[in-house]
Amino acid sequence: MWEKILAYIPEWKVFMQGFIVFFIPYIIFKLFNGIVSKQEMNDDDMVKMTGQTTQKNELDYQKETSPKELYDHYTGDFNLDVELVKKEIGHNWDVHFREFNIGNTDIRAAIIFLDGLSDKELIDKHILTSLMGDFSQKDEQESLYEKGDFLQKIIKNEVLSVSDLTEEYDVKQSVGKILAGSTALIIDGMPNVLMLGTVKGKSRNIEEPVSEALVRGPRLGFTETLSDNTALLRQHGENSDLSIINFQVGKRTKKELVIAYVKEIADPNLVEEVKKRIQTINIDDVAESGYVEQLIEDNYLSPFTQVQNTERPDRVFAALMEGRVAILLDGTPFALIVPVTFSMLLQSPEDYYERWLPSTLIRLLRYLAAAITLFAPSIYISFVSFHQGLIPTKLALSMMGTREGVPFPAIIEALIMEVAIEILREAGLRLPKPIGPTMGIVGGLVIGEAAVQAGIVSPIMVIVVALTAISSFAIPQYNAGISLRMLRFVAMFFAALFGLYGVILFFILLCSHLVKLKSFGIPYVSPTVPYRASDWKDFMVRMPLMMMKRRPKMLHTKDSSRQD
Amino acid sequence: MMMNSQDKITASQAVVVLVNYILATGILTLPRTSVEKVKSPDVWISVFLGGIIAIIAAVIIVKLSQKYPEKTFYQYSQDIVGKWAGWFLSLLIIVYFFTISAFEVRIMAEVTSIFLLEGTPTWAIILPFLWIGLYLISSGINAIARLFEIIFPITFVLFLLIALMSMGIFEIDNLRPVLGLGVMPVLKGVKTATLAFLGPEIMLLLVALMKQSEKTKAVKVVLVGLTIPLIFYVITVVMVIGALSIDGVVTRTWPTLELMRSFEIPGLIFERFESFLLVIWIMQIFATFTITYFAAALGLAQLFKKNIQPFIFGLLPIIYIISMTPKNINDLFKFGDMIGNAALYLFGVFPVILLFISKLKGRKT
Repeated sequence: MWEKILAYIPEWKVFMQGFIVFFIPYIIFKLFNGIVSKQEMNDDDMVKMTGQTTQKNELDYQKETSPKELYDHYTGDFNLDVELVKKEIGHNWDVHFREFNIGNTDIRAAIIFLDGLSDKELIDKHILTSLMGDFSQKDEQESLYEKGDFLQKIIKNEVLSVSDLTEEYDVKQSVGKILAGSTALIIDGMPNVLMLGTVKGKSRNIEEPVSEALVRGPRLGFTETLSDNTALLRQHGENSDLSIINFQVGKRTKKELVIAYVKEIADPNLVEEVKKRIQTINIDDVAESGYVEQLIEDNYLSPFTQVQNTERPDRVFAALMEGRVAILLDGTPFALIVPVTFSMLLQSPEDYYERWLPSTLIRLLRYLAAAITLFAPSIYISFVSFHQGLIPTKLALSMMGTREGVPFPAIIEALIMEVAIEILREAGLRLPKPIGPTMGIVGGLVIGEAAVQAGIVSPIMVIVVALTAISSFAIPQYNAGISLRMLRFVAMFFAALFGLYGVILFFILLCSHLVKLKSFGIPYVSPTVPYRASDWKDFMVRMPLMMMKRRPKMLHTKDSSRQD
Repeated sequence: MMMNSQDKITASQAVVVLVNYILATGILTLPRTSVEKVKSPDVWISVFLGGIIAIIAAVIIVKLSQKYPEKTFYQYSQDIVGKWAGWFLSLLIIVYFFTISAFEVRIMAEVTSIFLLEGTPTWAIILPFLWIGLYLISSGINAIARLFEIIFPITFVLFLLIALMSMGIFEIDNLRPVLGLGVMPVLKGVKTATLAFLGPEIMLLLVALMKQSEKTKAVKVVLVGLTIPLIFYVITVVMVIGALSIDGVVTRTWPTLELMRSFEIPGLIFERFESFLLVIWIMQIFATFTITYFAAALGLAQLFKKNIQPFIFGLLPIIYIISMTPKNINDLFKFGDMIGNAALYLFGVFPVILLFISKLKGRKT
């Protein structure tokens, strides 16, 4: 009895392997946890540190300001006020001071503006002309000019023909506005300055977006100016529910950021979550919306993009009408859309503009393209190096025949070609336009013809690589294409180690990752799973519009119906 | 977090989990094991009866679980039979769960090394499989259910496809005569057939993990969740016996894969389709492995009232060592029979007794 049991106790090797089975993932797990918790600690430290420094700063500030408290506000004394502003920003080359007398009186005044950002035409024609013009007859009691308040009232109400006008008492605040393009008007005897809205930022014309070309659809793209972009959204159609809420991001360089959503549709929890995450952004300068994307995404270790970016207002608006939230940052034409699901990465706005049958077929084609991008090279490798028996004999023979002269194993052969084509793609992208095609011809010739003739790779490998490359460009989202191309290499290694079994393992691993991933609380794989038949109308198949009567259920919208 | 209150699944997800759990080794071996017992072409009737018995057992399990809708078996068994007896019973079930998960892993490794990776050592096949399972189950039942929902349609479509393709060598005469040897041989095979339907025991936990509003549908879940594998198995048995005849089935270890090997359809990219069957089968084994692994880890976590994470890691080497214990494929099949017999008592007999006791207790209070 005992002997029988003893005979079944495995060798010590098995126990060692058992230990390895446990140890390696445990170490990886601890490592990742360590990184994450360390980072959190750092964040905490940062908060503490900044908390301390701000306290300190406040102390310093109090110390400094207590003797010369006057300098915080405008005094009403012309020379002193101008000096105050000059002290703050007078050393800048692009800040202009222009002093003059008001009307035909002796009252001194000055305007301060920023060259380039302010609208000079407005300043010359409307502000200076009206201020320097003769308006004494409007008021017979000249003595009243001495009284600042009365003068200000007259200037505000009767002289200045500017729509955007505010009063400012604080020096710091007014300086900030000047640097943003407003014009400050300082008048002798007045305890404040008038800030005139003369901002005219630099912007380019609205053009068709380069990164997302469509055959059919509006030829509009976002620009670098935030107000233009929000205007494009408003212009899409009258919709009183469209909320556009602003935030300021960036500790040192402050930038405007707005989130847009439709109040009656979007899930309030989602909106709150987006607001919360934007408020946690803690960085000195947010250079592009890519920064925002990376700072608010759910999982930074994932190869998949969890925030969609787009240059197309129609795409943003369509997303808003589905109950999503858009994030627009000043200074970039790329708007962000959250939450994102995997299926969105394979959709294009054109799917909805064209009739449903062609759109459906094109969509299915894209899914096929995504599958080819991911799995074509790995399946080729596993069939060539492990399971020649599983493909038809004739095909196997011809494949082996073409590989006869190739000195490398299939994985090396595939890696050479795939890396070469990635380099070609990257190089073609960065080159100036006139050289680009040359690159393509040279690269194509070298990769296609010469490599085969030299016997480094087999012709079938070239076909597989070319097919993969073309497929990856058929994916409408550029960054989704990159993720899939990246994962393709992982799949190739799995295939090289375990053949078809490795490809299956890779597929399961990929799915395991995808089902865990969430974008702003929405499972990344929805609407695939959990099964919701109504959401499948707009998944692989794009059903006729009259059948798509409901918004996606996965977004928990307030108003689920698209009709009355 | 012992059990995240948000981490609940819907009724349809429960169905998919059940189906994916049941479909496993049986697809490849059921034709052989049942024919060995029945020795007549009426195997499909045995499979049918086995399925019905499994449904009855499953309904009893569900009825028991529905009495304690918020608790898993590990928690309510202590309420029914007292702390220590409940503890012991739960421990038995936990051992059952991780043993079956080790069994599935080893079966997978054996089949893979025969049909896909000749020469690759067993440990190399098992290791990545275990790690991916670990990665999946570390985020709870919801992720598991979602993965199963991705696997399920792929299985369904590919299975029907290859079943249709094998119609070419199907001979209806191999299935005749019906009941030519009487009813007795059919009944002999019922036990073997029932064992292919191992899986409803997951309802002991799954009812507690279902969404509040959908718990009442649990009986429907097992009805649908067992009917689908029943159809799969009947199709498998009918196709395999129809193509290979009962004499041909007994001599082959993996008759279903042999069936796929024995026909070729020229003109398509693939002429042989065992790779398709292996793809869906490995996915199904992965499903069975992960859900049992999760059930065992969850059980330990609830018994010791601790976080589930350390138990997930701790079970990994145990599963590995158990899976490496059988010395060869015959040992492995014997091991499988042992698990099956244990399951009959654990899930055929105990739930009835527990249901009875809890009814008595209910009447007293």
